[in-house]
Amino acid sequence: MPPWSEFQQFIISGLALGGVYALSGVGLVVLYRATGVLYLAFGAVGAMGALLAWQVQQDGWPGWASWILCIVFGALVTLAYGVVFGPPLAGRDPLVRAVATLGLLLILVGAMDVIWTESGGAVRSISLPTDNGGFSLGNIQVTWTQVIALGLGVVLTVGTGAFLRYTKLGTAMRAMANDRVITATLGVPVRRVEAAAWFGCGVLAGLAGLLLADLVQLDATTLTFLVISSLAAALIGQLRSITVTFVAALVVGLVHDLLTPISALTNYRDMTPFVLAAIALLWVSRRRQVMTRSREEG
Amino acid sequence: MADPVTVTTSDSAAAAVAAGRRPLLRRPDKPVQLSVTTVLVLFVLFALPSLMNGYYTGYMTLAAIYSVVTLGLGLLVGRVGLYSLGQGAVVQIGAWTGARLLYGTAQPFPIVVIEAGLVTMLIGMAIGLPALRMRGLYLALITLMFAGAITVVLATVNFPNGGGGFTGYNGSAVHIPPIRRPSIAGTDPAYFRFAVVVAIIMFALVYAHLRLRPGRAWAAIRQSEPAALAAGINIWFYKLWAFALASFITGVAGAVLAAQEHYLYSINFTTQDSIILLAVVLMGGVYSLWGAVIAALLLELVPGWLQSLGLSYAWLTILFGVGVLQVITTAPAGIADQFPKDMKRLGRLLWRLARRPAAGAAGAAGAAGGETT
Repeated sequence: MPPWSEFQQFIISGLALGGVYALSGVGLVVLYRATGVLYLAFGAVGAMGALLAWQVQQDGWPGWASWILCIVFGALVTLAYGVVFGPPLAGRDPLVRAVATLGLLLILVGAMDVIWTESGGAVRSISLPTDNGGFSLGNIQVTWTQVIALGLGVVLTVGTGAFLRYTKLGTAMRAMANDRVITATLGVPVRRVEAAAWFGCGVLAGLAGLLLADLVQLDATTLTFLVISSLAAALIGQLRSITVTFVAALVVGLVHDLLTPISALTNYRDMTPFVLAAIALLWVSRRRQVMTRSREEG
Repeated sequence: MADPVTVTTSDSAAAAVAAGRRPLLRRPDKPVQLSVTTVLVLFVLFALPSLMNGYYTGYMTLAAIYSVVTLGLGLLVGRVGLYSLGQGAVVQIGAWTGARLLYGTAQPFPIVVIEAGLVTMLIGMAIGLPALRMRGLYLALITLMFAGAITVVLATVNFPNGGGGFTGYNGSAVHIPPIRRPSIAGTDPAYFRFAVVVAIIMFALVYAHLRLRPGRAWAAIRQSEPAALAAGINIWFYKLWAFALASFITGVAGAVLAAQEHYLYSINFTTQDSIILLAVVLMGGVYSLWGAVIAALLLELVPGWLQSLGLSYAWLTILFGVGVLQVITTAPAGIADQFPKDMKRLGRLLWRLARRPAAGAAGAAGAAGGETT
């Protein structure tokens, strides 16, 4: 066991990572509740947005323009997918709709391969100006990016909670989570509300892609499958509770990074989200009967 | 996924009970289909190896091996309604076990293959036992988690390369012996035949399952779990059986794959493989055994062909993505179902064109609209 001082730095980086997982996880949960779609292409959209941002920075765009491009790309692709494939699949099993988003994932992964990976596997990186500034907490260095990552996670979780609770659109989303048909009968413009949810989730995808590209690595495959970590958090929240998702995301990020200095486990630290999610799923389903149709429980 | 044959709940329960009582094989196989299949198998076994060059022999061997993998996944998805996003990891377990046994023991090759299948089956069942308590989406996600975890473990443990100990990995080995092949099938064309024979046996095994009691139980479960339960089917047991069978044949395929590749590296196996596997299986068609063959050709032969044209695999990934969306939105039974229909439609169209050129031209415009595969 390494001394405590070696762990301190990883608490901060773990919380920052957890913050990004939290905002991704919250995005996934809200979209799932509002539209019934588990958006597995979340990571791929963010990855492609980040690579686009990198590309235009190479072409001489100013930093802020490239970050906006990343977020706009995430929002537009997600919105387009939701508008085109949302309605025709609305009546289908959640499983089938989740598998359909894997189609989008494959298209994006293939496109990223064609555009970026094959034209020389150059090492790419995005650095936000907030990497340089920061402060020290005791003897730990904290960058502003890490503060932003954790802060965004907190703000978005609280903000989304308030949005769902107090605004008209949020109420409509909660109503649709319960019953889409009845909500439509009550005069809620179902498709417009769904489009809003897709758009919001897309913005979060772009944001998460940008932050993770800075905090972890700008690499198509890595970023695409980092969504599994946020997915694990969302699953621990049973795709329902954004509070539990937030806490779970922080725990996943923390445990992952705190395992880094332990030499026996450091190679296995990427298993953290899988193991935690598997335990949570098994715990949740320990008393559930087998005899249910594969339909989401209301 | 919408079933092509929708039977009401009470019907399927009654059918399941009735089917349980009647003797087997009531309806004789279609003679045309049977003879076409036989001719095709004989052609692949005896004529094809001498017609192919070394380049395509390698890809066709992989296609033969992966047809067993896609068969297993197609069985889970199409017959039982279990979407697994972790089949790539199951292949890895089979390949690892096969490689370890081939390096570590002098057992005959077929024995090792069966052992690899059994070990994979046990691991698959150990995961399936708790996972089967979950339904649709959650089960798919836990298999995705499992695939991710296995990939991480194997990236650390590495595939055996002739070293000692449990892992059989020696990081400082300079001369790595290749994974051995059976003595009767050392050359590439001979090993292709071997892989095809293994695939045929696995297809026969699955076919037998589908025709017997488990197949009927799975059909009932897919239609409606409550109705199947009411009909006295032990849902949990038969789901686990499907999991075990799919894991077994996938493990067998993994062991055959290990000897085909000669050397295995964990970097060649990714989480993405599992997703692409599901994509091609859906595209090929999950309700037919031919779907598995089509899926394997899409997965392994088409890349070889693309590469000879100078196009990269990435384009194929995009195509698979489009294929998944297309299959889910318009053609749930995949190419295996759609292709014969389209061919029939095309045949009718040509027939009409040949007979009445003037009237046929008008019909062609109408029919062509609905002919997207």
